[in-house]
Amino acid sequence: MDFTLNADQLALATALEGLAAPFKEMPINFRGFALASEALEEQLVQAEFFDVAATAGLGPVAAALTVERLARLPFAAEVALSMLVHPHLPGNAWPRPLALVEDGRPGRFVARARTLLIAHGDKLSVALVAPDEVEPVESIYAYPMGRLTRASETQARAVPLSPGDAAEVRKWLRVATAAEAAGLMQAALDSTVEHLRGRKQFGRPLGSFQALRHRMAECAVLVGGTKLLALKAASTASESDAALAAFHAQESATRITYELHQMFGAMGMTLEHPLHLWTYRLKVLLSDLGGRGGQARAVARH
Amino acid sequence: MVFVWDDKHATFRSTVRDFLAANLPANWEQLAHGPASEAQTRFSKEFCAKLANAGLLVPHWPAAWGGRDADPWTALILAEEMWCVGEPRGGQYMNVNWIGPILMRFGSKEQQERYIPPMARGESLWCQGFSEPEAGSDLASLRTRAERHGSSFRINGQKIWTSYARAADTCYLLARTGLGKNGISIFLVPMNTPGITVRDIPSLIGEGDIHEVFFDDVEVPDSAMLGVEGDAWNIVRAALSLERVGIPRFALASRMLERAVTALNNADRFGSDVYVQAARARAACEAARLYTYQIIDQRCRGLPTGPEASAARFATVTCERLVAEFVVEHCPDALAGGDPLLLAHHQRAVVAGIASGAAEIQLNLIATELLGLPREPR
Repeated sequence: MDFTLNADQLALATALEGLAAPFKEMPINFRGFALASEALEEQLVQAEFFDVAATAGLGPVAAALTVERLARLPFAAEVALSMLVHPHLPGNAWPRPLALVEDGRPGRFVARARTLLIAHGDKLSVALVAPDEVEPVESIYAYPMGRLTRASETQARAVPLSPGDAAEVRKWLRVATAAEAAGLMQAALDSTVEHLRGRKQFGRPLGSFQALRHRMAECAVLVGGTKLLALKAASTASESDAALAAFHAQESATRITYELHQMFGAMGMTLEHPLHLWTYRLKVLLSDLGGRGGQARAVARH
Repeated sequence: MVFVWDDKHATFRSTVRDFLAANLPANWEQLAHGPASEAQTRFSKEFCAKLANAGLLVPHWPAAWGGRDADPWTALILAEEMWCVGEPRGGQYMNVNWIGPILMRFGSKEQQERYIPPMARGESLWCQGFSEPEAGSDLASLRTRAERHGSSFRINGQKIWTSYARAADTCYLLARTGLGKNGISIFLVPMNTPGITVRDIPSLIGEGDIHEVFFDDVEVPDSAMLGVEGDAWNIVRAALSLERVGIPRFALASRMLERAVTALNNADRFGSDVYVQAARARAACEAARLYTYQIIDQRCRGLPTGPEASAARFATVTCERLVAEFVVEHCPDALAGGDPLLLAHHQRAVVAGIASGAAEIQLNLIATELLGLPREPR
């Protein structure tokens, strides 16, 4: 057991902070639902961040930490699947961005993806997509959402993954969901802490009321636990650890999205505050891979 | 970051498991139901002596006190293995975890020589004279008084919820020697001192577990004081930093969840309707485990324990609750004669958020120290 980062991982974390710095504030006039940055992705490509998982001395733990850190930014970027799942696709002919389409419903980054993972029940296949096979979908979720325009056609030429490959990819999808959720929850929590410290009612900061302090503390324990479980799953690459991490992420996110909005009151309902950028991404993650029921089945199997 | 055990620690765990397999009697799970019952107290004394002989009672203590300077991971592995079979050391786990180390740090030479060797041999049992009828989580409001009379102190007052008091030979007692938080001192009081009366409190937790302890003109020499007069708060803080993650409750909770799931599987009752609840409990156990490991990792590197220890404790309380609720709902027969260890777990789990201070105190600490939220006005 060793919970410390090695020198390479620490250097990566420092480099990541520098890279993330210009993206840490929501643009002042932004009033939309989905906020994404292709510029951030481009910088990650230039700095070779998408190779982290396969780099000696860095590995999947560093990749999961990177996903968690970047998920805390107000800008969404297609990072989680490219960093954690891409290395486990069979063959190497699958360009990024990547996206997942589950049971035909809209998914995050689908409209920009060049490679799609297509899940139907327990079956998983992978396909290259042309731009006219996908289209954006307007939604209140804070990711750019998209869907297939000719689903049966794309599905028909998708390459089915063998049961072994499918299990491997599904496992890393779970790690990706958990790592991303951990970062989203942390950012939403930090933002709410700031609100509770500054906002006064009844003559004192909201954050001094025990009814809120305790709920916030419970949220903090859930967030920290999700991050630890995600990092462990990235490190051990065990199916059971991945399923537990994704389960705990979705379980925690369910509670946290409600709690934090409740504590923010009306301010959190406005689009001028960034809270929704994290909570309405978390709401997308809640249904990943069958939601809690899907993860629980995987936990029971392993 | 590495989440697997190295060879040294894996071997130590095997050694402890082998020892348990060779030394726990066939009826052990029947004994485990009352951590302070007469039967378990008697068993634990014999068992701890055997552990000491095998070098497995205090491996993490300094060699000068009978240990071998093993690292905090070794202490954790030992605690996990003991707790997840139902804690055959009984109340002696306290000696090993914090009373011994606290005496090494704050005790006089005389106190160390008197009390530490019997602990290292597995011969002594202590109780903690902390809570009082008017002082639970608000420990600083305790009223038991120790008044100086020449070269001795006379102690009067009452302690309550005291575990192991009936069988203990020494009490680690907090008493007031002055006003306020800095007016509390610690005394090491032999339980056979005249003026001490112990009364059992029948409880849900298990046979003979908690007590009231009355102190009527109990006279102890001033050499019974631990550390400096009025310094109890500092010493207690040091003890709490050792003890907040002292009991690896997640280890037994996790083992008992597996046992319940196996029982359900065997009865063909582990269906998809139960999966979510089982996964919730198991994820909570693993989160508590990782939080605790993070603290042990910090300890290994000589870092002070921060508010993460409170998060570890709260995560642990959560997993205890989820597993206990799972067992009650899906294996109700376990609490009605069906499985003595599941019953013992239930009895320990229901007190997880209360023993060693209400878990809400940890939530306050997390809110203030980890999140930086403003304190509640007093």
